[in-house]
Amino acid sequence: MAGFLQQVVEGLGAGAIYASLALALVLIYQFTGIVNFAQGELAMFSTYLAWQFTAAGLPFWLALVITLVVSFAGGMLIERVIIRPVEGAPELTVVIVTVGLFIFVNAAAGWIWSFLIKDFPNPFPEGALTAGGVSVGYSTLGILGVVGVVMGLLYLLFQHTKIGLGMRAVASNPGSARLVGIRVGWTLALGWGLAATVGAVSGVLVAPLLFLDPNLMGGVLIYAFAAATLGGFDSPVGAVVGGLIVGVAETLAGAYVGFIGSDLKIGVPLVIILVVLLLRPRGLFGRAVVERV
Amino acid sequence: MSELVVTDLVAGYGDARVLHGLSFIVAPGEICAILGPNGAGKTTLLRALSGMVRGRGSVRLGGTELTGRSPDAIARRGVAHVPEGRGTFMPLTVEENLRLGAYVRRRRTGVDADLDRIYTYFPALKSRLRQTAGSLSGGEQRMLAIGRALMLRPRLLLLDEPSLGLAPLITRELFRIVRAINEQERTTVVVVEQNAHLALGIAQQAHVLETGRIVLSGTAEQIRADEQVAQSYLGYRV
Repeated sequence: MAGFLQQVVEGLGAGAIYASLALALVLIYQFTGIVNFAQGELAMFSTYLAWQFTAAGLPFWLALVITLVVSFAGGMLIERVIIRPVEGAPELTVVIVTVGLFIFVNAAAGWIWSFLIKDFPNPFPEGALTAGGVSVGYSTLGILGVVGVVMGLLYLLFQHTKIGLGMRAVASNPGSARLVGIRVGWTLALGWGLAATVGAVSGVLVAPLLFLDPNLMGGVLIYAFAAATLGGFDSPVGAVVGGLIVGVAETLAGAYVGFIGSDLKIGVPLVIILVVLLLRPRGLFGRAVVERV
Repeated sequence: MSELVVTDLVAGYGDARVLHGLSFIVAPGEICAILGPNGAGKTTLLRALSGMVRGRGSVRLGGTELTGRSPDAIARRGVAHVPEGRGTFMPLTVEENLRLGAYVRRRRTGVDADLDRIYTYFPALKSRLRQTAGSLSGGEQRMLAIGRALMLRPRLLLLDEPSLGLAPLITRELFRIVRAINEQERTTVVVVEQNAHLALGIAQQAHVLETGRIVLSGTAEQIRADEQVAQSYLGYRV
């Protein structure tokens, strides 16, 4: 039993990271209907920035704050400069632009920082809390805590601020949002900025567990897709719940299903995506709009 | 002194020109009805006034030129457009929809008082504050859309086919409320309507549109009295 709980806890830790990147995907999808394939690479680039700042001698948390601010501005800039011109173009066009962005950012990071792996500092202390035979690493607790704080802040933003209300209005009906005087273009840019910031958090959280290299987020992105699909691509809450479920499912499958082991774990998110799309395409929390005619 | 002055307004979609040079004026505090058959360009006219469709020519509101500005900039200058259909934010609550109407108002003071005022016009909304707009009936959604427009404290209210798809009883109630709003708030109203009888009942002035041109203008009484007009353009006998 304790062994099982141990696996669940570790799964939650991994799941929180998938959740944060899934959250970034959902933030953009909600506003634009675009699945941003470059989300993981933007997060990776942000993580390199954080690494660069710490390598220059800044304390970790200060480096993180600067990274988040730069990521926010960078996300907005990308929307204005790269996405804006294809706004309203067929979905496939926009998807291909984000795939192009994926390749460009990946190559740019390799060019700037080389493809050699780097050690990323772990902001959380070593060691673990042990209770009832289950030990929870401070690192896992820290990850869960950070993702919880990010969620809380986003909730406050969306539910309790005027800007958040305006963003939800744009997500639901851009035409009417214009008519009440909201600057829709800037709101979309704001969405990209927020997504880049949340993505940066996921990159910084995952980097100490893996190693920092330009392909840092490749695997994480697939888990994040599974999480967003499972939770519902238009539901931030769904992204987080989906992320945690995917994390736990992946860990349990690796531990208890003999032939999966650690090598085939990457198959788990793919199976989850397939099953969700077959059985419940809008995901667990996806919006089934209640609408009277 | 005119509130809304439209001069040689030309508008359309891509190469398809829909409006071929409209000119008319609306006095402050007046209700102006735009009548005409399907495809006459009534909806396009409202969309050109609110900036959703690019127009050429001139649209001046209280002396300010609106042509060429974006819809959100025009909204900030006090034009509230209630589009055809529902135009509400379905997943948001009724109260959130109404508060969004006041989005461009700089000062927050008065917003709560305005909410109360809107509940006196539309009591049905008050009992549904926490419900999502998508769960309202068609008539309630139309009321919500108008209520949201009023939260802007508009100088000019643009109503597109308020009666569309509603039961006759609800439609009459809606028009009664629009007139009450016009009388109490002194809001200038331009209403586009297929149901000429209803629209002429509340309007002072009316213009009949056909294929993008104004073919007849006059006071509501004049238009109503002109039986030939009624038959050829409005498709019914008064």
